[in-house]
Amino acid sequence: MGNKQTIFTAQQLDAYQDCTFFTRKEIIRLFHRYRDLAPQLIPLDYTNKPDVKVPYELIGSMPELKENPFRQRIAEVFSEDGEGNMTLDDFLDMFSVLSEMAPRDLKAYYAFKIYDFNNDDYICKSDLEKTLNKLTRNELSEDESRLVCEKVIDEADLDNDGRLSLEDFQHMIVRAPDFLSTFHIRI
Amino acid sequence: MDWNGSQRHGSAMGGYPSYPSPQESLRLRRRPTNVADQSSPQFNWNPDRKEDERRQDLKELPLPMALKKSIWQVQQMKIPAVSRWQSWKMQKSKTLKRFRESSGGALAYVALWRRVLQKIGGHFGGGVQSYFLFLRFLVVLNFLSFLLIASFVLVPSIVFQSHNSGNNNTVNISAGKEECTTYDPNPQGLVHFYTYFIDLLTGTGFMEYSYLFYGYYNNTEVITNDFSYNIPLAYLLTAGFYFIFCLICIVIRMGSAVRIAVKTGGKAVGGYSTLVFTGWDYGLQGDRAVRLKQNSIRYQLQVDLEEERIKLKAASLTLAQIVGLYSLRAFLNLIVLALIGGSFYGIFLATEFSQGYQGTDFVSLVVEYLPSIVITAANFLVPFLCDQIALLERHSPSTTVILALLRAVFLRMISLGVLLFTLWSQITCRTAERGTCQPCGYNHTLYPCWETRVGQEMYKLAMFDFITVIAVMILVEFPRRMVVDHCSCKLVKFVGRQEFVVPQNVLGLVYGQTVVWVGALFCPLLPVINTVKFVIIFYCKRITLFYNCRPADRTFRSTSSNFFFLLVLLFGWMLACLTLIYSVAVIHPSMSCGPFLSLTTMWRVVPNSFYSLSDTTREFLLFIGSQAFSVPLFMLSCVVLAYVAALASVYGQSVSLLRAQLKLEGRDKKFLVKQIEELSSVTKRREQNF
Repeated sequence: MGNKQTIFTAQQLDAYQDCTFFTRKEIIRLFHRYRDLAPQLIPLDYTNKPDVKVPYELIGSMPELKENPFRQRIAEVFSEDGEGNMTLDDFLDMFSVLSEMAPRDLKAYYAFKIYDFNNDDYICKSDLEKTLNKLTRNELSEDESRLVCEKVIDEADLDNDGRLSLEDFQHMIVRAPDFLSTFHIRI
Repeated sequence: MDWNGSQRHGSAMGGYPSYPSPQESLRLRRRPTNVADQSSPQFNWNPDRKEDERRQDLKELPLPMALKKSIWQVQQMKIPAVSRWQSWKMQKSKTLKRFRESSGGALAYVALWRRVLQKIGGHFGGGVQSYFLFLRFLVVLNFLSFLLIASFVLVPSIVFQSHNSGNNNTVNISAGKEECTTYDPNPQGLVHFYTYFIDLLTGTGFMEYSYLFYGYYNNTEVITNDFSYNIPLAYLLTAGFYFIFCLICIVIRMGSAVRIAVKTGGKAVGGYSTLVFTGWDYGLQGDRAVRLKQNSIRYQLQVDLEEERIKLKAASLTLAQIVGLYSLRAFLNLIVLALIGGSFYGIFLATEFSQGYQGTDFVSLVVEYLPSIVITAANFLVPFLCDQIALLERHSPSTTVILALLRAVFLRMISLGVLLFTLWSQITCRTAERGTCQPCGYNHTLYPCWETRVGQEMYKLAMFDFITVIAVMILVEFPRRMVVDHCSCKLVKFVGRQEFVVPQNVLGLVYGQTVVWVGALFCPLLPVINTVKFVIIFYCKRITLFYNCRPADRTFRSTSSNFFFLLVLLFGWMLACLTLIYSVAVIHPSMSCGPFLSLTTMWRVVPNSFYSLSDTTREFLLFIGSQAFSVPLFMLSCVVLAYVAALASVYGQSVSLLRAQLKLEGRDKKFLVKQIEELSSVTKRREQNF
């Protein structure tokens, strides 16, 4: 297709196409979705690589993420500064991982990071409790929550250190065939 | 730790970042490994890898975008020294890959109902989605079967019928016994207007002598100089290939379901961790859907915890209590068997009565539909009663579900079998006096053209099933939702909205498909009728799902149940196959209608036309059927089977070995970390002392 767009250079588009799972058309469409979040902030010309970030409040108000209980963690994991303010690169990266073409291992890696609330590369009991609260909107009782956390660690912890490492998590994901279809946002 | 892409294929984790091999790990571990080594995988700069592999790797790297882009830039700058031919080849393969990617996206649009199925999966879970996927599979199967039948039987019949001038040889019956060959399907005299409506529902009247039923097809055999077509042979072989085609489709689909079941380790381990980490659907939008999903996850967790508690309690019963419980269960099972036996007897009586009744008014419509009504009523009432009985049996929830499913399957398939058995015993005069079968070999007084009558019975079953689904939707589900939404009394709130029960719905589909398989030989257009019926059912079920149902509290485990549904479908296929073989090989075809007028059994047309083949083909086919070929073939397939079984067991063993190794590595890690800490504290103390 002809090079009629003036947002990116040809080389930038090629780089995006090779670094994400999107085609040229989808990248342009995603750029316009990104820009619609803050039109005064984002220029229409990315050829000289401007350094602009969309603040987390606007990212969290996107219809795809608005009601997701993990939206803050998702934004924090994919943003450069770790606070949820995303550049265009982060934005494309996030939706590329969450698209349906991303392989299971890549998704499992980022899912692990999302559920690791304290960023210590292990999912410990407190991380699990926070995940459960977000999943059930705090409606499980203390006892039930504790029991479920114990059961999860029993089932998935293979090296017996009381917390889940990335390998444990990936090993568990291999046995969950629904993972690919649930860890998926269509945009 | 280097991330080596080629090691990825070998390790059991599919791993990335992958494990170093056990020999390397001890050497490489010089410092505590709880530092974030795993979170910074590095790129393999090996220049020998092919270009598209490197491009694929880049997409799959868990690095931030800026790093990926710089790697990409470095890659672009590395211009490999290749000849002109190789660079042309690389360019062409790049464009081909881009083209394939974009066309893959376009092809995804063509997949039938893809978006609808994704939406259903997001809102109601994998279990309900598996029902709709099963329905889509059946629609496609029926449509392809219709194409098969149309191209080999229907279209040639139409063509030869329209060219019914002198130049085709219609083989007429030679030994015409007068009483066996009279068959007059066209109604006499003045007909009331409502008989057309009745005829549409029962397949009689104007519909009987049409392409819909067996009786309309002739045993034309066209033999011109360069083209010959034998309609009876085509009819029989098409029926055979239709069954084999359906079997192949089911087995292929079962294969993929089994592969998933084996990969997940067979049993549903990891229920809690799977639910917590993969239970949330990130594609859900809308406040109501999110709230419903959260409720469903919470309910599922609570039910699982409850089941654990019940299991603990059951393990702690005394001997007297256990004996009492088992005798209660045996007694209740006897009651269930009595109920099922009673419904079989009812079906038998209803079929006998309905076959003997003649009449043309509205009462006769009800009587014609009597077997279908009794089957459907039994299939509603008996599972409901069994569910109530199951409450007394006090099994765990998952066992209750499986037991209810098994009973329902047994009831449905065997009730259909009882109906068929009754029909066939009437046709071959097993219940009537001997005399009526003597002249023609079948009961020619009741059934001048028995194949058409069987086809009509199957047509009526299919129609009634369809009408029941629509009627239940309109008369039960929509009013229930309206009552629940607008009335606020306690009882109504307790009963609540309809829940979409997957197993019963799937059994309904399997039943409908089995009816089509049984009837396809006698009613060749039944697959296309069934395609239309299933398409309408898809849209109706979708409407009722979104308007009337709430998401199931108990999410159905879709992975193992897919295999179970296909197994039940296969069982229905075997029942239909049995009927086909019996009809083709044993019963005398009617002498007054159909393509097999002049033969003693339908199968005879194959040996008869066998002798008209050329010599070499005959020799070849005889050789294939002889022992010289089949015994070595059998031995070869035994060897292949043994090899595949050995391979499967080796893989299973290696998976469990690797799993044990993982556990050992973990303990290894902890031991080494402790040693390192001890050593560092000892050296620190020594330094302090100096």
